[in-house]
Amino acid sequence: MNIRAFLRAACVAAAGVTLVAASSSTPLAAADYTKYHTYDEMTAALRDLAKTHSKLATLVEVAKTREGRTIWAIEIANPGGTPVAERPALMIAANFEGDQLIGSQLALYVAEQLLTGYASNPTIKQRLDAHTFYIVPRVNADGAEAMFGAVKAARKTNSAKNDADNDGRLDEDGPEDLNKDGFISVMRVKDPNGPYMIHPDEPRLLRRADAAKGEAGGYSVYWEGIDNDGDGFINEDGPGGVDLNRNFQHQYPYYQPDAGPHMVSEPEARGMLEYVLARRNIAAILTFGESDNLIAPPNASGAHAPASVIDLIGFANDSLEGARTTGRFQAPQGFGGGRGFGGGRGGGRGAAAPAAGGRGGGRGVTPPATTVAPTDVEYFRTISDRYRALTGLRTAPATRIPAGAFFEYGYYQFGVPSFSTPGWGIGASAEGAGAPGRGGAAPGRGGAGAPGGAAPGGRAGGPGGAAGQAGRGGGPGGGGDSAAFDLRLLRWMDAEKIDGFINWTPFKHPTLGEVEIGGFRPYALSNPDPSKIVDLGKSHTEFVTYLSGVFPKVSIASTSVISLGGGLYRVKAEVDNGGLLPTASAQGVRSRSVKPTMVQLGVDPDDIVSGDPKTNFFPTLAGSGRRQSYDWVIKGKPGSTVTLKAVSQKGGSATASITLK
Amino acid sequence: MTNTLRLAQLALAAALVVVPASMGAQQSRPAPMPPASGSDPQFKVRLDFNRWHDVAELKSDFEKLEKAWPKFLKLTSLGKSHGGRDILLMTINNPDTGGEMSKAAMYIEANVHGNEIQGSEVALYTIWYLMENYGRIDQITKLVNERVFYIVPTVNPDGRDHFLKGTGAGSRTGHVPVDDDNDGLFDEDGDDDLNGNGVIEQIIKYVPGQGNLRKNAQDPRILEAVPPGQTGDYISLGSEGIDNDGDGRVNEDPVGGYDGNRNWASNWQPNYIQGGAMDFPFQLPEAKAINDFLMSHPNIAGVQSYHNSGGMILRGPGAEWQGEYPGADVSVYDELGTQGERMLPYYRYLVIWSGLYTVHGGFIDWTNDGLGMLSFSNELWNGGQYFNSPALIEQRENPNSPIAGQRGQYFFDDYLEFGDQYIAWKEFDHPQFGKVEMGGWKKTQGRVPPRFMNEELSHRNMAFTLYQADEMPQMTSGETKVEAIGGGVYRVRVDFTNTKLTPTIMAKAAQNNVVRPDLLTVEGKGIEILTAGWVPNKFRPGATQLIDQKELDRILLRTGAPGRATRTIEYIVRGTGDMTVTYDSIKGGKAVAKVTVK
Repeated sequence: MNIRAFLRAACVAAAGVTLVAASSSTPLAAADYTKYHTYDEMTAALRDLAKTHSKLATLVEVAKTREGRTIWAIEIANPGGTPVAERPALMIAANFEGDQLIGSQLALYVAEQLLTGYASNPTIKQRLDAHTFYIVPRVNADGAEAMFGAVKAARKTNSAKNDADNDGRLDEDGPEDLNKDGFISVMRVKDPNGPYMIHPDEPRLLRRADAAKGEAGGYSVYWEGIDNDGDGFINEDGPGGVDLNRNFQHQYPYYQPDAGPHMVSEPEARGMLEYVLARRNIAAILTFGESDNLIAPPNASGAHAPASVIDLIGFANDSLEGARTTGRFQAPQGFGGGRGFGGGRGGGRGAAAPAAGGRGGGRGVTPPATTVAPTDVEYFRTISDRYRALTGLRTAPATRIPAGAFFEYGYYQFGVPSFSTPGWGIGASAEGAGAPGRGGAAPGRGGAGAPGGAAPGGRAGGPGGAAGQAGRGGGPGGGGDSAAFDLRLLRWMDAEKIDGFINWTPFKHPTLGEVEIGGFRPYALSNPDPSKIVDLGKSHTEFVTYLSGVFPKVSIASTSVISLGGGLYRVKAEVDNGGLLPTASAQGVRSRSVKPTMVQLGVDPDDIVSGDPKTNFFPTLAGSGRRQSYDWVIKGKPGSTVTLKAVSQKGGSATASITLK
Repeated sequence: MTNTLRLAQLALAAALVVVPASMGAQQSRPAPMPPASGSDPQFKVRLDFNRWHDVAELKSDFEKLEKAWPKFLKLTSLGKSHGGRDILLMTINNPDTGGEMSKAAMYIEANVHGNEIQGSEVALYTIWYLMENYGRIDQITKLVNERVFYIVPTVNPDGRDHFLKGTGAGSRTGHVPVDDDNDGLFDEDGDDDLNGNGVIEQIIKYVPGQGNLRKNAQDPRILEAVPPGQTGDYISLGSEGIDNDGDGRVNEDPVGGYDGNRNWASNWQPNYIQGGAMDFPFQLPEAKAINDFLMSHPNIAGVQSYHNSGGMILRGPGAEWQGEYPGADVSVYDELGTQGERMLPYYRYLVIWSGLYTVHGGFIDWTNDGLGMLSFSNELWNGGQYFNSPALIEQRENPNSPIAGQRGQYFFDDYLEFGDQYIAWKEFDHPQFGKVEMGGWKKTQGRVPPRFMNEELSHRNMAFTLYQADEMPQMTSGETKVEAIGGGVYRVRVDFTNTKLTPTIMAKAAQNNVVRPDLLTVEGKGIEILTAGWVPNKFRPGATQLIDQKELDRILLRTGAPGRATRTIEYIVRGTGDMTVTYDSIKGGKAVAKVTVK
C-alpha cells in the first residue's frame, strides 16, 4: 500500500461502495472494501454487521491487546436447531502479522457475505443452519495500526515492551524516516567490507557476492535510520515487541527477540488459545498470514513448500546480527587469575557423572511431529486444489517459515486441518520472469532445499528444528539462489505497474556518509492494492463455503434388533461418516487432541449381557460413508426403547431410538 | 509465668539490644529474644514440625511468623488456585540492608504435586529457623542481612487439601477439570471411600488358582506377584471406588488429570509427547501466578522446588535432547550438588533426564533456561532412612531378617509407628466386583517420612538450600589504583570480585539472552574515558584487552562475572577529579569503587 494508492482509494471511495453494493445480491451493511480499515473502522464494520444481522451474528471479545484494544470475534450461525457450540465449526483468523491487512479485509468480507447471503443463497443458508463460523479478522489490533501512521515501517509485532538487543534499555533504537518519504525502507552503502553486490540482472536489487566465483562485494545494507544509542547497530531495538505468529507452541523459535520471552507470552496469543480451546467444535482453521499451505500444499512428505523470502530484507536484518553479542567475554581471557580465587575448585567431576550410568530413564523419547501425517496430506492437497481453482492463485507473494505460527498449532496440537494463505498472489505475469530456483508454479514438491517447517540443524533425535532456526523475520531462509524471489517479485510489479519499489535515492547519512535509500515499499510485500479486495473477497467466500461443507458428519446409518427370547435382545448398529473429512485427522488422533467418537447405548451397564460395552470409542472414521459396527446382547423389557448416541467432537452428534421387540 | 520472671526476662532482653560485635555496621539489630532456659534458647513462636499442615494451618502459622517478625517478613498472595485458595508467598528481607531488588534472592517453593507434602513443612521450618536464629547465630544473621528469600509453601494448595483433608488418593494433580475418559463430562468418576474409613484402599479379589498375586507366606499382609509359571489366588482390581457415572467403568475420570510440573515454558511439549502438559505453558492459574512473579523479580538467582521422594538433588536438563548445560554452569552445579550429598545422607545429586526420567516443560528447566536462575529440585525422603545404621543396612541384605525387603516396612510400622500406617485386608461386598477384600497402606506411608523424622528432613534440606543461597553471586569492589601517565592522561584500575560460587549470569542465561547484562558504569565530572580494557593479571606486565564498545561509561558484560574471581578493569582517562566506577548486576547486587584522579 502506498500513498498514491491511498489517494486513489479515497477518490473512488464513494463510487466504490455503490459498485460493490451493486455487484452483490443484498445491500452491504457498512464496510467500504476499496481501502484497508483502521481498527476503529474495522470495529465499526463488525458492530454494524452484528447489529444488522442480530439473529445470525454475535460479537465476542477474544482478548484485550496491550494498548487496550479489543480483539473481536464475530460468531456467525443460525441459532435454531443443534446448539451452536456443538456444530462442526470453521474458524477464520487474520492479521497475526501486523503488516498483513489483506487478510483482515478478506475475513470481514467473508463474514459479510455469509450474513447477507443467508437469505438468498441456499448453500450459505445450509452452512449457517448446520455449522458455526468463528471469525477473528484482526488479531494484532495494535500492530496493524502502524499501517495508518504518518511513517510506515511494515511492523509485524504487537506493542509489548521488548528489550530486543538485551542491553537494559527498552525500544531505544528505532527507525527514522531519513529521506522524509513516509516509509522506512533500507539503506545501501558502498563499503569495501560489504558482502553484497549490485544484482547483474537488475540494478535495483542486490545479491550476495560469491567469493568462490571471484565476485567482489562492495555494499552493506541497513534498515533506514540512525544508531540512536551509539552501540554500533542501526534500528536494533525499535518500538514493537512480539510477532504473534512467532508466539505459539509449535516449533517455537526459542529466545529470538521477536518471539517473546516464552511461548504464549502475549495476551493476544493467550486469548486466541483460550478462545479456541473453549470451542472444541472447531473442525478446521483458516488463517490469513505470511505463510502458505493453500496455494502450495504440503508435499508428499508432509513438508511445507519452501518460503519465498525477500533477500533485501534478509540483508537488512543481517546487519543486526551481533547486536545481542556485544559484551560477551570468554572466560579463558583470564581476569585476575580467573577461577581458583578463594581456594581452588578441585577437578570437577563433570555432569553429575555418577548419575549417568544409573537408571537411564530418558532415552528413546519421541519427538513431536513436524510434518503433516501421510493420510492427512491427501486431504490438504484436495483442499488446496479447490482453493487454487476457486481463487485462481498460483504463486504466493513473499512468505516465511511458520515457526511458532498459530495455524501450525491448529494442526499439530489442536489437531484439525489448519491452513494459512496470504490471501493473494503475485499472479501470472510473474511466471515468465525467469525466476530461477522456484520451479515455476509447481509447489516445490520434493525440492532440494530444506523443507520449510522442519528446519534442519536440530540436535539428532531432538524435537526438530524449533529452537533458533527461524531467525529474524525473513532471515537467509532456504539459501539457494540469492535474490531469485526479489527479482521475480520486482518483474511482476513492473509488469503489473505496481508501485511497490522505492527507487534508490542518495542521502547523506550522519555516520555512514553517502548512502542510498530505497527498496521494497513497506506493506506492498504483504498486501495487494486495495482495488483487489472485492475480487479476492468473492473467491474466498466461495472457498469458505466449500471448506465449511467438507466437515465430518456422523450419523447412525442403521440399527437392528433381534429378540433372543427370555427378555434378551441382540442389538446391532452402524455409525457412519457422511462428510469428506475423517472424524479426526491423523494428527488429531496422534496428538490425542481430537476426542475419539463415543458410541454409547443408553442402558444400565448391568443389563449388557454380552458383546460390546455400554460405552465405545473409535479414534477416527474416514469420510464419504465409511462405517463402524456395534453388536450388543442386552436384557430389556419388551416394547421398551433404548437410545443409542454417537458423539463426535468435530462431526456432530446423532441419536437413534431402538425399540426392543 | 510469674511477675518476677517476666521482669527478669525484660532485663535480659534489654541487655541483648546491644549489637553483637560480629555484626557489621550496616547490619541491623536483631529482634529481642526471650531469655535462654538453661543453655538453650527459648523460641518466640512455637510451631509443630512433626505433623502435616493443611492449607489453612500453613496460612495461620505464616501469619503467626509475620506477626512475630513484622520487620523482616511480609506475607502476600500471588493469586488464587483454581479452587480459590491463595498461593501464599512469604518474603524475608531485612529492609535495613537494602530493598529486595538490590540483593540476590533465593526462591523456595514446594508441593506442586499435591501429594508431595513435606516440602511445605520444610518451607515453614526455613522461615521459622531463620527468624528464631537471626541475631543468635552469626551465619544466619549474615545470610538474612545479605539475601532475600521468597518462599511459596504450596504451589498446589488444592491438591494439598485434597490430600490432607480427603483420602489422599489422586492428589498429585491440580484441580482444573479434565475430561480423562472423553465422554464430555469432567471429573465425574473418581475413587470413593466405600467403607467410610477415610482411606482409599486397594481392592483385591480372591480367585483361587486364577490370579497373579499371592499373600506372602511369612507375612500375609504382604501381597506379592507370583513367580512366572505359577498361579496365585488373588487379582488386583485397582483402588477403592465404584462406577459413579453408570458408563460401565470404575474410577476412569477422577479430579484433575494433569501434572502441574509440566506446564512451564522451556522445552514444553504437547500432551501426546509429555502427558499432563495441558494445552500451553502457563495455562494453569497456579503456574501463571508464579511465573508472573518470577519474571517480575529478576533479582532471584537461586531456586529450590521441593518434591518427594527418593532422596535426590536434581538439576536439569529434563530431557536429553535439550543438551547438557554449558561446562561453566555444570561445574557450579556439580560443586553445589556434591556438597549437598554430604549434607543430605541417602540423597544423590542427579540430572533429571538421566537420573530420574525425562521431563518436558518442568519448572526448574524454565527457571534455569528461561530465567537464568540456578535451580535445584530436591526429592525429599529416601527409604534407606528407615534403617540407617551400617549394621541394619547389612542386616537387611539377609533374606531371613524381619527387616529384609518389603517386610522392613511392616516391621517399621509395627514397632516404630505402632501399626498406625497399615490397614489389614478386610472383606467387602462391592457393587460391581462382588465379594472383594480391601486394605493397604495409608496415605502418609512411603513418600513422606514418619512424622517424628520430619524435623531432621526439614533441617538438612533447609541447610542445603541456605548453602545454595549463600553461594549466590555477590559483587564487591577491591583495590583501586590511579597512575599518571603524562599529558593529563591517567591510568585507573579497579578490581571487582564476585566472592561467591555462582556467576552473576549463568552461561545458559547468557546464551539465551534472558538476563540483563551486567553493566560497568563510570561517573565523574571532567573525566573523559579514552579506552577501557581488561587487565589479565595485574601482577605481571602484559597487554590489556581493550573493550570494543562505543559507550565506555556503560560497558555491557553479557557473560557477567564468574564465581570466586576477581577482574581488574583499566580505564585510560583524561582529566582530573572524582570518578565512581560501579559494577551493576541484576543477580549479584552492585559494587561501587570511588577514586580520585589526580
